[in-house]
Amino acid sequence: MTGRVIVITSGKGGVGKTTTNANIGTALARAGNKVVMIDTDLGLRNLDLLLGLENRIVYTIVDVVEERCKLKQALVKDKKNPNLCLLAAAQTRDKTAVTEEQLKDICEKLKKDFDFILVDCPAGIEQGFQNAVAGATEAIVVTTPEMSAVRDADRIIGLLEAKEEIESYKLLINRVRPNLIKSNDMMSVEDVVEILSTDLIGIIPEDTGIITSTNKGEPIVNEEKSLAGMAYRNVAQRIMGEDVPFLNLEEETSVVAKVKKFFSNLIGKEK
Amino acid sequence: MSENILKELCNKVLSLFKQTESKEENAKDVACNRLRVVLMQDRTNLTPELLQRMRKELVELLSKYVEMDKDALELNFDQEGDQMALMLSIPVIRAKDEAEIEKALAKEEEEENVENEIEITEGNDENEPSDEEIGEREEANEADNDDEDEEIEITEDSEDTESSEDTEEK
Repeated sequence: MTGRVIVITSGKGGVGKTTTNANIGTALARAGNKVVMIDTDLGLRNLDLLLGLENRIVYTIVDVVEERCKLKQALVKDKKNPNLCLLAAAQTRDKTAVTEEQLKDICEKLKKDFDFILVDCPAGIEQGFQNAVAGATEAIVVTTPEMSAVRDADRIIGLLEAKEEIESYKLLINRVRPNLIKSNDMMSVEDVVEILSTDLIGIIPEDTGIITSTNKGEPIVNEEKSLAGMAYRNVAQRIMGEDVPFLNLEEETSVVAKVKKFFSNLIGKEK
Repeated sequence: MSENILKELCNKVLSLFKQTESKEENAKDVACNRLRVVLMQDRTNLTPELLQRMRKELVELLSKYVEMDKDALELNFDQEGDQMALMLSIPVIRAKDEAEIEKALAKEEEEENVENEIEITEGNDENEPSDEEIGEREEANEADNDDEDEEIEITEDSEDTESSEDTEEK
């Protein structure tokens, strides 16, 4: 088995890297893949919380690197899905505790036993980013339709392009708000794609369910009815090479839109 | 008849919507335009001042050969894959004829010569009192002239022309 190593990165913090990681990982595992997620955000670990695994962590990536345990001992199995594992970050150490070479080495070893290795990258473009990217051959750049997030994504894309090991990178636009886009108050998905000229892998709508799912430690992909959950499941399908159309988020829902549609239809019928 | 009235009513209602929709400049367009400018700077290390200067110099250069609408000049960086391209779009008002172009070129040469002569004398003035400490002074100048790039460039040019003129005279 040779697994694919995908780093999930963004530049800017707070755009949903870790949420994306937890959800894509869970969705890939639900689809029958063996998945391991590596949290490389040393000192600021959160992936364990989103998965509800915070109480099960015994060893961290730093323990593996400093040979206090074997790699397999440090992998925490998910509560629901035995296909899904987490290699947690150390909360008490800083970014220098693990080097690029060591992360590369861990990824190489995990490739033998897993289909997908998802690396959760810390915010920023410093050593933490360099470490996280070191073992990866693919990248998902997470951004939102906000200026600062898009600008930082552009920086990250520039850095990824300069890395020979990265064979492909795709764009995931998170927290999309169709109503704001419709009223021209927010950049649309098309605007962001055009500005960054990068291929899309997913469009995730803003969903308050994300907050409750985070609070419960239960990724939203497990909620069948959630729109964001569906969007994340689609991303997983696309990663697996399937051609899944993007969700239509532009459904007209406001009263004004409905009235407008009604009159447009009337004219249409008259013709 | 009644169909026409209904149609008219519908169009009126729709035109009402159009009025409320077409705000002067919406937040999305502002964001897109600001982002494009800021990314252009990020990707090229060109500040707005440098871009303005580049624009001015391009206009000066090109207007020797064609008459164009200087205000409508558009300068953009486009990213296509990993290739960045400089896109320059200027409406040409009129092509200049040969005589005009030659005249413009001759005039420019003349101006250059005059400028150089002035600068040569200036350059000599600077060098005169400091025969022994030239090295030190040049170092100091380099440090001082960070915000006076133009001057450095011009003095360099004048040195070149100085030497070439010298050989011509001989």
